[in-house]
Amino acid sequence: MENIENTHIPLKDTRTRILEAFVHHVLETGQEPVSVYKFAQSLGMTEQEFYTFYTSFQGVKGGVWDSIFTQTLADMHAQAAYAHYSPKEKLLSFYFTWIEELKKNRSYLLALYEKQPDFKKVTPQEVQSFKRHFLAFAKTLVQEGKETEQIVDRKYVSDKYPEALWLETLFIFQFWLKDTSSGFERTDAAIEKSVSLFFDVVGRNAVDSFFDFAKFLYQSKKAI
Amino acid sequence: MSQSPEEQNHIPTSKAQRATKFLGAGAKVGGNYIKHYAKKIVNPSLSKEELHEDNAQDIYTSLSQLKGSALKVAQMMSMDKTMLPGAYQDKFTMAQYSAPPLSYPLVVRTFQKAFGRTPEAMFDTFSTSAVNAASIGQVHKATKDGKTFAVKVQYPGVAESVSSDLKMVRPFAYRLLNMNEKEMDHYMDEVEEKLLEETDYELEVQRSQEIAAACRHLPHLHFPDYYPEMSTSRIITMDWLEGAHLKEWLQTNPTQEERNQIGQALWDFYHHQVHNLKQVHADPHPGNFIILPGVTLGIIDFGCVKVIPEDFYRGYFSLIKKESLLNEAELNQIFYDLDFISDRDSPAEQAYFKGVFKEMIALLGRPFHAETFDFAQNDYFQQIYTLGDRISKDKMFRQSRQARGSKHGLFINRTYFGLYSLLNQLGAHITTTKPDWLK
Repeated sequence: MENIENTHIPLKDTRTRILEAFVHHVLETGQEPVSVYKFAQSLGMTEQEFYTFYTSFQGVKGGVWDSIFTQTLADMHAQAAYAHYSPKEKLLSFYFTWIEELKKNRSYLLALYEKQPDFKKVTPQEVQSFKRHFLAFAKTLVQEGKETEQIVDRKYVSDKYPEALWLETLFIFQFWLKDTSSGFERTDAAIEKSVSLFFDVVGRNAVDSFFDFAKFLYQSKKAI
Repeated sequence: MSQSPEEQNHIPTSKAQRATKFLGAGAKVGGNYIKHYAKKIVNPSLSKEELHEDNAQDIYTSLSQLKGSALKVAQMMSMDKTMLPGAYQDKFTMAQYSAPPLSYPLVVRTFQKAFGRTPEAMFDTFSTSAVNAASIGQVHKATKDGKTFAVKVQYPGVAESVSSDLKMVRPFAYRLLNMNEKEMDHYMDEVEEKLLEETDYELEVQRSQEIAAACRHLPHLHFPDYYPEMSTSRIITMDWLEGAHLKEWLQTNPTQEERNQIGQALWDFYHHQVHNLKQVHADPHPGNFIILPGVTLGIIDFGCVKVIPEDFYRGYFSLIKKESLLNEAELNQIFYDLDFISDRDSPAEQAYFKGVFKEMIALLGRPFHAETFDFAQNDYFQQIYTLGDRISKDKMFRQSRQARGSKHGLFINRTYFGLYSLLNQLGAHITTTKPDWLK
């Protein structure tokens, strides 16, 4: 009977089941399962079945990152005020919501990444899929910022903004991992300040005026 | 982000400017050290004395340029080394003022953490940008069921950073004050305690309600209602007071009667708190008062409340007895009790400091010695400044490496100087009062 029921469960639910079981395992034992074989067995599926969903534990870990990201976007869009936000506020809102999602999985993330060396140097493979999704999100923000002139379009440089935001994301993640303040207040402050800094740098500022002036001088010289 | 520059405008510029002034003093002191060591290379016999003279001069010059309430007041206090920690405290709060305003998403987050709901869900309307900066947070305007509220939201991480920020200030402060670590800590602990209390919004709501209830009977005073069910350790919801800040109100040229009425309300408010409640709103800064229609004084922000211990109270206020009523022995005892002088002082020092403190007390206690006092007289304030100036430059005073005055005096002095300075700005003529036991 059970087997028949299992076949009726849609693919997505089995994925979720795998993710949850994996997280559960890490929470309980503090480490990844020994082998896919053992893990699949504990789930009551064959190793082969497991591979139709994920090809390795790395894939499963990536799935956890992705699901946190998806949930973040959903929660964020559910806030009425979000639609009226400026790109800066959207980014802040993203980070605050994301941290909230991360918090639900803090023990799991600590177990896996607390001893990990600096993410900016060695980004674990499983984070790549989240990275792709984040970059796409960041790109729309940057685009919107350019349209509303809160972000200045600078040749070559502005194409790198989403990448810069990705580094900021890693920074925030690692800051949060180490944060011991009550309610992770210091992470809130870190988000607030780092996002402000980013938008101050990419907005119209002294650098633009400087280049504009330099260009003017150069052209004036040519004219004379 | 087009909002950002506007938001910045809400931060009181004078605060920021004052902070810059003070930082200027720091820079100059640093410069003096460089100058000192440069000179020393040429002339190794050069003493540190000259350096300290330079420092004191520069600090003093910077302080005397600071117009307005707190630091001007602090400057008067330079006769008593307790003043400078006060200045540091102001500098600290000013640094908070110059922090950029909280973004709206962070306000939303603070609400969600506290109540599990967004501000829009809790109120009918809620201003997305701050309408005012408070010392360690910002104020939003909200409405619900036809009522208007002021909602104060604290900057995240302030409470955690108080101790570490003060630690950063400490070494600089020893230098500046020419005090040793132990003496400095005597005051710094008091400052730290008060700052930590200021970050506890639950305590603030509780105290605001207590003091408001105890002072409501006084004429021409108004207190907003507080809403504990809509407040947490990081958020305070209270009634919105619609009126003008003291400075704005003064620009509308109120009549002498009106200014007296506000001044008298202030005086009575402080008299009642100090002598009857023994706990006092220790931050008489113009920004904490709002003049309401009907020439009523609205009082906001009970972040800094000093509870006055009984034994300190007795000693400190005995000093405002008419001089003739205090004999020498009594006075000596009070000076000892309040740590103005100690056994470590040489007889010459004791005599000097007693003289100085007597002179101070006579001057500062003058309003208490008459039935009425006209705070508009600028020459009275000039005398205070002159005395402060003279003493702070006095060698005897600057060489004494001792903390003088009880730590409780720190906030009480600040309160009285703040009060005097407000009354002076108001140009108010006051019927001064003393508690019965001092009459």
